[in-house]
Amino acid sequence: MPDIFYVDTLNGLRISYSQLIDDLNKIKSFNPYCHQQDYYSIFKSLLISLLIDEPIYLLDSDLSQAEIQHVIETDKIDTAYIIEVSIDKICDQTELYSRINKVKNWQVYLCTSGTTGLPKMISHNFNSITRMVKRSSKHSQDIWGLAYNPTHIAGIQVFFQAFLNSNALVRLFNLSNDVIIKSIINEKLSHISATPTYYRLLFPINKIIPGVRRITSGGEKLDLITTQKLKDVFINATFMNVYASTEAGSVLASENDIFTIENEHIGLFKILNQELYISPELMGKSSSFNLKEDWFATGDLVEVISEKPFCFRFVSRKNEIINVGGYNVNPHEVEEILRSIETIKDARVYPKKSSVLDNIVCADIVSSDKSLTIPEIYKILRSRLQEYKIPRIISYVETIQLTRTGKQNRS
Amino acid sequence: MENKLLEIINTVLLNRGNEELKDLTKNTQLRNDIGFDSLDLAELTVRIEAEFGIDIFEDGIVLTVGDIISKITAI
Repeated sequence: MPDIFYVDTLNGLRISYSQLIDDLNKIKSFNPYCHQQDYYSIFKSLLISLLIDEPIYLLDSDLSQAEIQHVIETDKIDTAYIIEVSIDKICDQTELYSRINKVKNWQVYLCTSGTTGLPKMISHNFNSITRMVKRSSKHSQDIWGLAYNPTHIAGIQVFFQAFLNSNALVRLFNLSNDVIIKSIINEKLSHISATPTYYRLLFPINKIIPGVRRITSGGEKLDLITTQKLKDVFINATFMNVYASTEAGSVLASENDIFTIENEHIGLFKILNQELYISPELMGKSSSFNLKEDWFATGDLVEVISEKPFCFRFVSRKNEIINVGGYNVNPHEVEEILRSIETIKDARVYPKKSSVLDNIVCADIVSSDKSLTIPEIYKILRSRLQEYKIPRIISYVETIQLTRTGKQNRS
Repeated sequence: MENKLLEIINTVLLNRGNEELKDLTKNTQLRNDIGFDSLDLAELTVRIEAEFGIDIFEDGIVLTVGDIISKITAI
């Protein structure tokens, strides 16, 4: 297995573990407020913070000064908090891992969008951030695609999954589709983890990619059409859905859209008015959590499939349900129907305020073939959706708005 | 302005699979003559607001094309 730590085709980087260790040995200062664009620098800062057992604050590179001030109450992050570091020379990978395994006080602080839209900080310790990391010789040959922002929880989890198994990590986030597909094929990726929106935007792929063994999806509900399209391309891959949040980290995994709570974890989850609540035992730390009698209200609506064993599937985000004159419309359902129309590549369904009813449903659609007219789309929708669920305004757009995490922006 | 209003009303009708109107009079009733239901009226108000910058249903009932024209011309 070649010695590769990180590959970034866009910036022409191919960093080996030996070079990583050399670079870490040269570091003499550390800024706990990591506000950098370059992914390799972010990884180095993360590892240095572990080596010196000091907290690190991961800030998105595109956070504005006002947003930074809001979350950490300072605007002088570039210079004011830099500390000198003097780490004992790391000789090899074994020593690197052994030192990282000894962390006691380390915390990583991450931004979450929060219910008001302003970012808030949430911290995780090493155990909670690596809760779902599988570390064994079985994974020694894995090659991971990084399709998440590296300052977000999913990106950090992919980083640790790859790093703790000495795997190569290949950048797939924020690249053009051509570069992404080339990177997956040329770097012989075996594992990719991304949001359903990320996968949808990759299509059409027009190739079969047999080398990928595992496709993981998380952060949003994965629809059946996208799953099938992925299966047609990644013919040898097994599929995994992960339920994770910045607040709780990764908490559940399933091979389909139904999540089963194992008997030993039954007390850690409950469902109230269709909403999933998580026990504080599974949570990171923050003063901004929406806790109800100590339970964390996830804002995720679920449908219980069976009580014994306790199984459920995700239906929607609570705040995404669109109220149309008293009728509830699940935007995911409508998007799935829109995407089932052959020429429509992606869709975003969102509410628009109306004084007649509370809201009307609107949709933006992406298609490379605009020969299908809007009235023709309506004709199809009328045969597949109840009247109140049909978007009243449908617009062709070039791209769908995404959040910093790469999920659909529904605001 | 009447032409634009006719275009907006016809967009709502066409998207529902209904026949286009050739013309409008001020007395044309939105519900009884055109056949709009509450969803159509909700869409109409959003489209008119996007075009003319006024929420025609904000402060009261709008029954006819004339009511809409009055609201738009009152701005």
